[in-house]
Amino acid sequence: MIEILSVTGPASVQDLGRFDQYRFGVGTSGAMDDIALRAGNILLGNDENDAAVEIPMIPFKLRFGRDMAFALTGASVEAEIAGRAIPPWWRSHARAGDVLTIKAISRGARSYLAVGGGIDVPVVLGSRSTQLRGEFGGLHGRPLQPGDILPCAASTAAVGELGVEPADISLARPNAAADETIVRVVVAGEYDAFDAATQALFWSSHWKITPQSNRYGYRLQGPAVKPKAPVEKRSHGIVPGVIQIPPNGQPIIQMRDAQTSGGYPKIATVIRADLWRVGQARLGSKLRFEQTTYPDALAAEAEMSAYLDRLRTNVRLVEETRTCR
Amino acid sequence: MTAPDRPRISLLGTSALLFEAPGTFDLPHQRRIWALAATASKWPDIREAIPGITNLMLTFETPPRELDALITALNESWDAAESLAIGGREIRLPVTYGGEVGSSLQSVADHCSLSIDDVVAIHAAPLYTVFALGSHPGYCYLGGMDPRITMPRRQTPLQRSAGGSVSIGGSQTGVSASPGPSGWHAIGHTSWTFFDPSWPTPAALAPGDTIRFEIKRVIR
Amino acid sequence: MPIEITDIARLARVLAKSGVDTIEIEEPGLTLKLVVDTGARIAASAKPAGTATPAADHSVVAKADVAGHFLAAHPWQDKPFVAPGQRVEAGAIVGLVRIGLLYAPVVAPAAGTIDAVIAETGTMVGYGTPIVRIRPHAANRPLN
Repeated sequence: MIEILSVTGPASVQDLGRFDQYRFGVGTSGAMDDIALRAGNILLGNDENDAAVEIPMIPFKLRFGRDMAFALTGASVEAEIAGRAIPPWWRSHARAGDVLTIKAISRGARSYLAVGGGIDVPVVLGSRSTQLRGEFGGLHGRPLQPGDILPCAASTAAVGELGVEPADISLARPNAAADETIVRVVVAGEYDAFDAATQALFWSSHWKITPQSNRYGYRLQGPAVKPKAPVEKRSHGIVPGVIQIPPNGQPIIQMRDAQTSGGYPKIATVIRADLWRVGQARLGSKLRFEQTTYPDALAAEAEMSAYLDRLRTNVRLVEETRTCR
Repeated sequence: MTAPDRPRISLLGTSALLFEAPGTFDLPHQRRIWALAATASKWPDIREAIPGITNLMLTFETPPRELDALITALNESWDAAESLAIGGREIRLPVTYGGEVGSSLQSVADHCSLSIDDVVAIHAAPLYTVFALGSHPGYCYLGGMDPRITMPRRQTPLQRSAGGSVSIGGSQTGVSASPGPSGWHAIGHTSWTFFDPSWPTPAALAPGDTIRFEIKRVIR
Repeated sequence: MPIEITDIARLARVLAKSGVDTIEIEEPGLTLKLVVDTGARIAASAKPAGTATPAADHSVVAKADVAGHFLAAHPWQDKPFVAPGQRVEAGAIVGLVRIGLLYAPVVAPAAGTIDAVIAETGTMVGYGTPIVRIRPHAANRPLN
């Protein structure tokens, strides 16, 4: 088990998400950076859907209740265990009583702590992810607090220290300036409700990520983007990535804890292969949208899968080498 | 695809597709949506078919390479869809109108040029049908609201609105099942359990069920 | 346990699939080097050696134990893992070797003070390539 010693902001238990409960009004939840979660689980030989702790703010401190393998992926953090620094996207081994401290985040917005065998909270409606709105899943359906004890599944044997290349490097996008995130989007149902000049404004703006951005949605600030005439849609299903334009003309990107339906006009949708980039975009930083097509969005997903495939075979290579000795 | 009498089909990235039926927001159209949902949910690579208000979202298990076949299938199934009448149960919900939770009661009355009593009476009169579930766990979108109490959604959504809020958004009404952000206007509140993840079916109500609001109290 | 031909065949298949071009395995009296991409060049070839052989001046050397590209700093960090004059504990990470998407650590064989970082970032290193020279603290000087 793991004991939470200190936590800032809404840290929570997340797996890849809850994907087949929309008809009951239950959204996906799940890791905001699903690639980082998968990478952590791959490093540990876990199922890629195993649950981990999503840590959005520092400082964060926890104690390992017994020997276990762990991995830290996602944001670049200054992390330390028993006096050793843990590099980014890294797996290591903790001894019973060791304290892991995350002191600073130098890039990205969310860090993931995965453990050998996964965080063993109960599966509710097909997932271990925390459903904050519904107050179920994760640990008692709520963010973590100091003193919380997280059950861990049977730990695997001791692992050697090993790191993997962060997705941000392997899947780097061209022309991405420092502290600006560029994400690809496919236009959505109401794109044509905006005139050409407004559409151009949407593409060219350097949107500021406001402090009101969280797991529900990223609220952006910039020039008002308003449709030619007010649009009141009948409520319909939406998914994480959908960019809604409320009447004030300030876009909201729906994220993992978003409502499952809405009625504001939708100008575009962030493609699945780039949604993790939004999840790692820092409050106060800038974000830009780049138009792409459905086939190109599928190609981007294939590229993301290829990175994960390589990660899997590379890590397996290390284990196979060990068993050959 | 955009002719006024034809359905509109649009993409939600690569995760889902939205089908919007032409025509009015009424029970006959919604019953055809339920029929289309029942059909489409059986198609390969479709994870779920989720009815909205006279629309349907299909989420993908695997995104299709080509969308044309799916779009054709949706259009043909819509044209062939018979009305699916779901015989649901009827529940009665006591509502306290106005007060701290229902603080928008006065602004709805002002917007609609009605008295508070008129708004309450008009809102509590119909037998509402659960058209769809969505927004948050257990939330029901209701059909049957009198258009006289229509009020556009908020300019900027509220970060937090109370659980049990009875609200109006556009020409729709509903009751929130838990606290959370909302772009609607709360005119009252009720206490009832709409959702429990430990139930065999986690949502208390399903499309086709009906709700009657009972005026428990009006706080001015 | 000796390395069997079937192990080599299996490793070669894994290598081919994984995009990793070189791997080296050391057993007592035997070093196995598999190179899939013949274009790859190794800066230092394999030599059977312990990881903490004391040099004549009593310094110890942290060596790579896999083949790949040496990284003095993590690509996300400006600051290298170690710099001359810095004190390190035994087992501390002094650099990385990048193999495909993997970052393998190079660790200090003994506690001491960094004398010099010998390997240059970006260069190809092999099994046994000296990476960092460390002046061990007297109490921690390895006995072998």
